[in-house]
Amino acid sequence: MTTPPQSGHEPDTQVPAQALITQFEAPEPLVEETTEAPAIKGGRRRTGQIRDIWKRFRRNKLAVVGLAVVGFLMVIAILQPFISPYDPMEQNLLNTRKPPSGNHFFGTDILGRDMFSGILYGVKLAMIVGWSVMVLSLIVGVALGAIAGFRGKAVDSIIMRVTDIVLAFPSLIGAILVVQIFGNGIWQVIIALVLLSWPTAARLMRGSTLSLRESEYVEAARSIGASDTRIVTRHVLPNAIAPTLIYSFSHIGVAIVAMASLAFLGIGVPADIPEWGTMIADAVPSLNVEGESHMWIFPSLAIVVTTLAFAFVADGLRDSIDPKLR
Amino acid sequence: MSRTKSVLLRAAAGLAAASLVLSACSQQSNTGTDEDSGGGDNKPSSGYPEVENTDISEGKPGGTFRLGIVEPVAIDPYNAQESEGILVAAYLFTGLTHTTPDGETEPAVAESWESNEDCSEWTFNLKTGTKFHDGEEVTSASFKRGWERVVAKASASDVAYHFDQIEGYEELNGGTANALSGVDASDPAVLKVKLAKPSCEFYIRTAHTAFSPMPKAAGAAQNQKFNDQPIGNGPFMMDGPWQHDAGIKLKRFDDYGAADKAYLDAVEITILVGDETAQQKELDGLNNGQFDWARIPPNQLKTTREKYEAQDGWISKKTFGIDFLLVAATKAPMDDVKARKAVSMAIDRDAIINGVFDGSRAPATSFVPGGFKDAYQPDVCDACKYDPEKAKQLAKEAGLTEGTELNFQFNTGGGHEEWTAAVKQQLEKNLGLKVNYSGVEFSDMLENQQQPNSTGIYRLSWGADYATPGNFLQPLFSTEAIGTDDPNAPALGDNRGRYSNPEFDDLVDEATATKDEAERTDLYRQAEKIAIGDDLANIPMFERQQFRAFDSKKWANAGFMDFHENPPLNLIYQK
Amino acid sequence: MGKFITRRLAHAVLVIVAATFLIYLGLFAIGDPFASSGEKTVPPEIQEALREKFGMDQPFFVQYLTYLQNMFTFDFGVDFEQRRDVADMLANAVPATARLALFAIAIEIIIGLTAGIIAAVSQYTFRDVLITVITTLGIGIPVFVVGIGLRAGLSGEWIFPAVPRSFTIEVPWYQEVILPAITLAIIDAAFIARLMRGSMLEVMRADYVRTARAKGLSERKVIGKHALRNSIIPVVTYTGVSLGVLLGGALITETIFEYQGVGYLLVRAISQQNAPVIVPIVVFAVLTFVALSTLVDILYAYLDPRIRLH
Repeated sequence: MTTPPQSGHEPDTQVPAQALITQFEAPEPLVEETTEAPAIKGGRRRTGQIRDIWKRFRRNKLAVVGLAVVGFLMVIAILQPFISPYDPMEQNLLNTRKPPSGNHFFGTDILGRDMFSGILYGVKLAMIVGWSVMVLSLIVGVALGAIAGFRGKAVDSIIMRVTDIVLAFPSLIGAILVVQIFGNGIWQVIIALVLLSWPTAARLMRGSTLSLRESEYVEAARSIGASDTRIVTRHVLPNAIAPTLIYSFSHIGVAIVAMASLAFLGIGVPADIPEWGTMIADAVPSLNVEGESHMWIFPSLAIVVTTLAFAFVADGLRDSIDPKLR
Repeated sequence: MSRTKSVLLRAAAGLAAASLVLSACSQQSNTGTDEDSGGGDNKPSSGYPEVENTDISEGKPGGTFRLGIVEPVAIDPYNAQESEGILVAAYLFTGLTHTTPDGETEPAVAESWESNEDCSEWTFNLKTGTKFHDGEEVTSASFKRGWERVVAKASASDVAYHFDQIEGYEELNGGTANALSGVDASDPAVLKVKLAKPSCEFYIRTAHTAFSPMPKAAGAAQNQKFNDQPIGNGPFMMDGPWQHDAGIKLKRFDDYGAADKAYLDAVEITILVGDETAQQKELDGLNNGQFDWARIPPNQLKTTREKYEAQDGWISKKTFGIDFLLVAATKAPMDDVKARKAVSMAIDRDAIINGVFDGSRAPATSFVPGGFKDAYQPDVCDACKYDPEKAKQLAKEAGLTEGTELNFQFNTGGGHEEWTAAVKQQLEKNLGLKVNYSGVEFSDMLENQQQPNSTGIYRLSWGADYATPGNFLQPLFSTEAIGTDDPNAPALGDNRGRYSNPEFDDLVDEATATKDEAERTDLYRQAEKIAIGDDLANIPMFERQQFRAFDSKKWANAGFMDFHENPPLNLIYQK
Repeated sequence: MGKFITRRLAHAVLVIVAATFLIYLGLFAIGDPFASSGEKTVPPEIQEALREKFGMDQPFFVQYLTYLQNMFTFDFGVDFEQRRDVADMLANAVPATARLALFAIAIEIIIGLTAGIIAAVSQYTFRDVLITVITTLGIGIPVFVVGIGLRAGLSGEWIFPAVPRSFTIEVPWYQEVILPAITLAIIDAAFIARLMRGSMLEVMRADYVRTARAKGLSERKVIGKHALRNSIIPVVTYTGVSLGVLLGGALITETIFEYQGVGYLLVRAISQQNAPVIVPIVVFAVLTFVALSTLVDILYAYLDPRIRLH
């Protein structure tokens, strides 16, 4: 809940009390529940676990639809250069703001660019940004969270104070400031979003790690002389990562919306590439002009479909990995 | 006029260096129009025709004129700078001289003026008995006070540089003096000015709002109360303070003495929010009766023109500005005049105007814009016509071959993406150049231009501060305006293309030292012939053309714009 | 408990100091606000005078400390662009945003609670599923899409004033605030509905509710008297925390509806690199955010003693 709710979906909305606490302190109660049966080892049992998750996931119709849409979007993102009917950047200044037609399924924008191709390009952009932010913030968050949780003491304090400071910024404002400093560009936006989202991941990870550190099987591993690294990588990480993973996944939609919001405000995203938020901003002067509503409707639909698909999948994922959280 | 207004939501985006991923193959070419496009044939071949100024008639007092603007930076002349701020300042204050819509300089508070032989000493004889809105008399001391208030170091005015010709400017602006030593106000009816940099055009400069007189009540420049409710000597006075982000009310000043009184009882200026949508709102307001005057969003020029031209409420005028390509004229590949002409002739200005601007600009064939009736030399640039064959030939002679690299930079956020992208495409198509096209922040582009190793072309535009053709020539083409003698030092002046031609310099110097206006204009024409006709030191693109619509059923004398492209509030009357 | 509060407050102060420092450092890194940014170069001596006027010629730490000092006395200086008192600008914008936020909170609580309660008492029915789907939509749709849709569809209609409105035509403030408030409220309303549903289901499974039922109390009484009262706490807390977050949404909402509040002021200031306006707004946002989270933390520690140990 440290990300502003407008930026999309949060994983832990249905565990209100704990969710509120996770923001400020180690989410102990949450973790106790999630890791009740630790130390699942061996390939067979893990496969079984994944099968169970998938079984539960399948039961959630919305999640399955969401997954199908996400898959579809990924395919579009990969195939974009081949299926795009036009070069999404190519202008035709003699044919601007035209409503949808056989030549231009979604019409053309203020520069006469084909909006259908632009929206396909937007899919690619959204996938790149969403997944990059997820993977990067997961890596940073898990690493720092695990270190903080396992090492404790000064290291823990320092890392947690840093997360405090980052989380003190309402995230959209934080992202704007970071982008102002780094300048415009897609990678700059990605970096800004990662900078603002790793702390939550780190806190979730730290919480899980903390409770596991004291658990019996870690004690056991320690007693037989296993090194810290081994304990963390072999025992703690696999069992503690679930809540962090769910958070990071649900953050994909948040990242996509955050980029679009920045682009809508004209901050961070270069003006010249087809991005959904930019498209909508370009359409603002045409809002009440007849025959030009396609300019904001199609990109809006694209964002809504994408974020909802990710939200449904995240929901389903959480429910199936952690049935108790339902 | 020196600052660009901020951009909240992007005005327009365009294609530029694609950052992330390349798009590939299998794509149709996005050309041609959709069948439902309404066809291109009802578009003008290039630009909309100008509308002649209507004759000024006399009317009766009365009425409230309403219009919308965006929030000005300042309405106090000490820092008024863009056309919105100047709209208010120019009607609250009247200076020594006044610029007519045609760019002529006429007497205002100064009845007459004269200078010595080398134009280093000026004497302005003031009308006596004219008053400020608070009743204080306007004397030469009021002018000295006003000018010093702008130049004083503590004021940190953005427009102080307009005074840089006057003796003592550097001392006052640098903080080592507290008066303008070159300004003598010992006789209340006579203002004497000594210039450190003599100019026979100084009287033209004094029409700028920065040169307004100030009453004693003004105090220092940073004075919030006065800044929001200035007491001036102009045809209108403030009716209550400026309500920031809401509006400004003006009422007629009945004791106005510098010229004819205004007819309007009042002016209501609504401050519109959002720079990009402001034009749309102005037009909506005019259409639904909220406003009496409006600018026109480019995408609605056609329909608006049809509607308002029929009722004589349409204004279309070339004004005092130009879009051009700044050329790094001392560095390859653009150091050869043939290369510059080839590039210029490879650009199809008409196509860009019709495509990007909906026909709302005029192709430039000279550098001094059409607003200057006498100095204007259409077609002085013989290479400003689209001729791809000739361009290819010249390019070949200049050594611009297939694949020659040309840097082309523009500033982002100013709505220049589209047309610069079109220029890039045309240069690639017509000359086979490899154009390194990039958009950067304005300040970065400026810095790049200044560097001694800068090459290629840059987008730029220029507007008039004062109504003299010299304002378009001296700062952009003279050797002095490079700002450095050292070819390896940054060019800090406005001639960042580093064009230098002694012949041109001599003509411009001669012009500023010539008292006769016609003679001076002729010298400027000759100078432009050299810099543009012969050398094509910068490449003219579009002449600034402005459009307005107004409620002609209610208002007379409203059919033209003042020098600042605003409605002539002092002349408009109710029908 | 006292120890916990002290420690928590110390944290808050540390965070605030660090955050203000970062904000100031960030703005410093953005670059020179007085460099030429228009067609005509600003002469170096004028740039110099501007820097001196705004104290930008001082070393960074001197500037930062001066700023901190001024902040405590609510002296924010004048802005770079118009040279107006920043305190004055805020004095106009803050009440507008406060109105917007209060309206939005009222809307989200009313809608959110109602929907949440309905969903919970009719768990697994069509109504419940419908509300779940709607709340998912509500959370998934970005603020600016909602705002653009509302503006395109409704502004100028019925009681909603046209978004471009004239200075001379007075519009009652409540008419002006409705559409932006709805925009701002939708997502939080969906959140609250979900929170309420979850929390209520949990409470209804609790022993004391079962006992109440077993005693033969009517369902209405069970829900009204016991379940509701106990399940509303997380909602109240969430609403408190979300206040700080509302400012983020206000940036976008105010921009879309051209509503002249703090968000609009901030977006404009950013585009002008107008640091004297940016800094106090962001600092204020951080302050609110940290203050509310600290408060919530302390509250929770009070309710749940286990937390104090950490």
